[in-house]
Amino acid sequence: MTTVNAPAQEAVLGKAYDLRLMRQLWRYVRPHARLLAVWGVLLPLTLAFELAQPYLLKIAIEDHIAVGDASGLGLIAIAYVALVVAQAASAFGEQWVLQLLGQRSMHGLRLAIYDHVLRQRAAFFDRMPVGRLLTRMTNDIESLNEMFAQGVVTLVADLVKMIAIVVIMLTLDVTLTLLTFLTLPLLWLLVTWARGAMRSSFREIRVRIAAMNAFVQEHLSGIRVVQLFRRQTAAAREYDAINAAHRDAYLDSIKADAAMYALVEAIGVIAIAAIAWWTARGLGAGADTAAHLALVIVFIEYINKFFIPVRDLSAKYTVMQGAMAASERIMQLLESDEPDAPPAAASDAAAGAPGAATAPAPQPAAPAIAFEQVEFAYGRGEPVLRGVSLEVPRGATVAVVGATGSGKSTLIKLLTRLYERDAGVIRVGGVDVRALPVAELRRRVTVVSQDVFLFRGTIADNIRLGLDLDRAALEDAVRRVGADRLLARRGATLDTEIAERGGNFSAGERQLLAFARALARDPEILVLDEATAHVDPEAEELIERGVAELMRGRTTLVIAHRLSTIRNADLILVMARGQVIERGTHDELVAAGGAYAQLERTFRRHE
Amino acid sequence: MTAPPTAPADAALTPWTYLARHRGRILVGCALLLLTNALFLGIPVTMGLAVAALGGADPAGEVPPLAGLMILFALGTAITRIGSRILIFNAARAAEYELRGDLFAHLLTLEPAYYRAHPTGDVMSRLTSDVQTVRALWGAGVLNIVNTGFAFATVLVMMLRIDPWLTLWSILPFPTIFILGQIMGKRIYRASQGVQQHLGTLSNNIQEDLTGIQIIKSYGVEADRRARFVAQSEQLLGQNMMLARVRGQLGPALAAVGSLAAVIILFVGGRRVVAGEIELGHLVEFNGYLARLAWPVLALGWMLSLLERGRASWHRLETLLRTRPAIADGAGPALDPDATRGEVRVEHLSIAFDGRAVLDDVSVTMAPGTVTAIVGRTGAGKSTLVDCLARLIDVPAGTVFLDGRDVTTLPLDSLRGAIGYAPQEAFLFSTTIADNVALGFGQAVAGQAVPRVTDAATAAGLARDLAQMPDGYATVVGERGITLSGGQRQRVALARALASAPRVLILDDSLSSVDAETERVILERLREVMRGRTAILISHRVAAVKGADQIVVLDAGRVVEVGTHDALLARGGVYAELYRTQLEDGDAVAAEAAS
Repeated sequence: MTTVNAPAQEAVLGKAYDLRLMRQLWRYVRPHARLLAVWGVLLPLTLAFELAQPYLLKIAIEDHIAVGDASGLGLIAIAYVALVVAQAASAFGEQWVLQLLGQRSMHGLRLAIYDHVLRQRAAFFDRMPVGRLLTRMTNDIESLNEMFAQGVVTLVADLVKMIAIVVIMLTLDVTLTLLTFLTLPLLWLLVTWARGAMRSSFREIRVRIAAMNAFVQEHLSGIRVVQLFRRQTAAAREYDAINAAHRDAYLDSIKADAAMYALVEAIGVIAIAAIAWWTARGLGAGADTAAHLALVIVFIEYINKFFIPVRDLSAKYTVMQGAMAASERIMQLLESDEPDAPPAAASDAAAGAPGAATAPAPQPAAPAIAFEQVEFAYGRGEPVLRGVSLEVPRGATVAVVGATGSGKSTLIKLLTRLYERDAGVIRVGGVDVRALPVAELRRRVTVVSQDVFLFRGTIADNIRLGLDLDRAALEDAVRRVGADRLLARRGATLDTEIAERGGNFSAGERQLLAFARALARDPEILVLDEATAHVDPEAEELIERGVAELMRGRTTLVIAHRLSTIRNADLILVMARGQVIERGTHDELVAAGGAYAQLERTFRRHE
Repeated sequence: MTAPPTAPADAALTPWTYLARHRGRILVGCALLLLTNALFLGIPVTMGLAVAALGGADPAGEVPPLAGLMILFALGTAITRIGSRILIFNAARAAEYELRGDLFAHLLTLEPAYYRAHPTGDVMSRLTSDVQTVRALWGAGVLNIVNTGFAFATVLVMMLRIDPWLTLWSILPFPTIFILGQIMGKRIYRASQGVQQHLGTLSNNIQEDLTGIQIIKSYGVEADRRARFVAQSEQLLGQNMMLARVRGQLGPALAAVGSLAAVIILFVGGRRVVAGEIELGHLVEFNGYLARLAWPVLALGWMLSLLERGRASWHRLETLLRTRPAIADGAGPALDPDATRGEVRVEHLSIAFDGRAVLDDVSVTMAPGTVTAIVGRTGAGKSTLVDCLARLIDVPAGTVFLDGRDVTTLPLDSLRGAIGYAPQEAFLFSTTIADNVALGFGQAVAGQAVPRVTDAATAAGLARDLAQMPDGYATVVGERGITLSGGQRQRVALARALASAPRVLILDDSLSSVDAETERVILERLREVMRGRTAILISHRVAAVKGADQIVVLDAGRVVEVGTHDALLARGGVYAELYRTQLEDGDAVAAEAAS
């Protein structure tokens, strides 16, 4: 079996620098441009402190050591120490400002990703694994941070430093400087070759890593199939081939890195040898030996300082390359936009319906909820709803019953626009839901779903959930749904901490907390997806009462699993295969002897 | 199944076990490194001599040969350094490759339950970031530690040779490096722990927001959650800056130590030159040695964290490698594949997860050549029961038998080879349909429609679908089979199970996404294909299980009814009730009601 992996999304394979990405990143750096300015001030300071040191050395040799005068050495030493300390302080400030710039920019980018992701519609999350989104906001951001610490910005600093060194050398001695930089073509050749080798190597490496990760991911998620079909040995063999290719992909980059590191050093020595040779040639009898000696010594210092950044270029190249790949992934995420419940004009234009320019006027006489010939399918899959029509009059309770997969829960998702219907109209209070601002729609319609999601935090936090409710209101909500008794039973209060995903609470307890959460919102329209989870009889009784309390005097659409809930409904709809197949009151439907009548018998047997 | 070539549970497993296998390359690399350092000494020596010659009587005659020598030493240094880096880095890559291979082979032996407790994402990050960190320890870590040692030793010898007193003076600042390393090392460790912790909190928060996205949207909690995220991201920023502060102090401080040594050489050495105790050339040489130490000193801080992180990562990898598979081969002989009849017997089988009984004293016998249907509500234990037969979940000895042999005594290969299994969630590999089906008999067919593949696909009702695909059997299934419909995926998985020519075929609700009519046709054909063998069928559709030889009804982990469709219907128990609630097949129910 050959695994096909086409990492087509790796558009910037191997690139260490991409202008388009840089421009996009700049958007997040610009708000902190002041820090960049501070860095721009500190950078030349650090350089000045550093590059003045060899000059002091020159003075010391030329004016004192070489001419046998030790008297001024103490003063020079003190000045030197002062420069060293100043350089250290300035370098610290420079690095700190740079880090702050990076961290703040990346904080901004992280927020931008977060906002972007949360703005996406529910279908986006069906497709996008949580892990991948998490990586964008954590690991990829870290890679970009590295770029600030040791990538592009330090490259700029290095460049400034190298130019400064050249300028100083030129002011010291033009001939020696030119002689030194006779080696530049050599250096340029080396860097160009190494960069080319590394770039193609990195491209290969990225492809191999992607293939390797995809292979492992696939085999671990399919571990049952792997084991059932005794694929372990074959899979390990296939993995071995990918793994070996991954290992070998590094061969060239290791070579290039080693050559670059070692040869740059050698080229520096060649430059030093050249100036020593040149100086010796020009030295005749009676020349100012001290000055020439000092010049050679200080040139040695500057040449060393010049070549170190070049030597470390390959390490920076690696960092940049990783950062570019990370930012490419981030930008891709930011570019793919499927906004949740877009404003009416946009969605109407898409649907070809007339746009609603002004805020729609409420229609007091209209039913609270109305579905008209609504059709829907998840993605390109089988239709889930095939022309569903229903109405929930104001103040009424409508119960929907039917088997798993008949499309009941989908009704709710369409009503609150978590998903967009494919055809038909859904109205709330007589207004097309797509014409309502989504915040208003979701405030008016409160959904209690069957699997209750609790956030980490206290019970109070979870009931409040973003609303500004005082404690009395919370307590009142808890008491009215009867959750207080259940909490008391396990010794919990409003301040009890909830573990990840509510793991320390039972299904029944979570249900009651969800009821309290909904009740605290006092919604105009309640939509309830009753849980089928088995709970103990006491909790069952509490839940039944909680549901009744929640629904009292409120417009309710309920997906019902309890006979008591169904019986009390004003209207019952029976759904099968995405259609409403029966509708009527309990008595009517039982009398009709259809699907509901059969269903009701089994409910009765259970209760 | 077979253990990976290197037994990972080896008692002597240290961070160096894998690297030690490449000790030849490492040793030669280290020897070259020593040579590099020795040759490198030639550069300051010749440089010092050249400077001395410049001040001497015949600079034009003496300097050029010295300059040539200097270049020779530089080239020698470069060549040996290239060799050492290539050898050591490649050895590290080779060790990484072996470690990865062992890890992957080991991961495949761990039971499915392990992956329920350890999300794939976690395991993946072991295999990516932890392996990377350990490899950095092996490559850059080893190289720099050895190099620093050699550099200090060789430089010290040379310095002492010139002037012991100046040497003593110039190395005076260096002990502060170790003090700095000690203090800063601890602070860096604490700060990076803090960063990790905050990053963990932030990650958990993001994960929570993404999994709870529906409630966030329907309750309009975006602003509240965002505020929380902002606060946590800011805290992470603060903690990162704390780390940046310590790191920002360490770098310049280490650089300053080196510079201070230069000042000392200038001041003390300068006075000694003036006093005529040493020559100016020696001063230059000294400076050259000092420059030599600059990088190793700066790398010290980085190496400290490399060691620390490498060890932590290795610890996690070692834990993973030492995790023994909970389900292992039985000690008995394998079944004769040709003589296996496929009789399945379950006796008093009870299985509990976290103290909750999932199967409770289940006993059932499935004779060769019969079809057994298992029905029951969601969570009744149906899938657990069939998982037990293939030992995807382990069973106590003496509870499950295949042809009279206790399955726990069978080699897993032998047991699973006798079973063909089509799960409800049809997992396909991203390769061709033909290869996915051929997985059943363990051969790569490279998209070729060989008879074994076409027979199985036809039996699984795929023939018509495949005819409509331009690439037919060579159609590549996307990431986890996304390009196929749910029903098509399920049928490919069924074909795969059939292709293995199993003695026992298990369909775990594996036609749930196929429409009722197609399902009926497939099941009818299966009766033919499975003649003389054992079939186990889990389904929620009464129409599908109606024709089974026996129907086993599970409820809350217990067998509550066993019998044929008619017998169970007559009994009026759980099955009869289930039968009546089949609203899903609205028309079927309507038809029944009308009759």
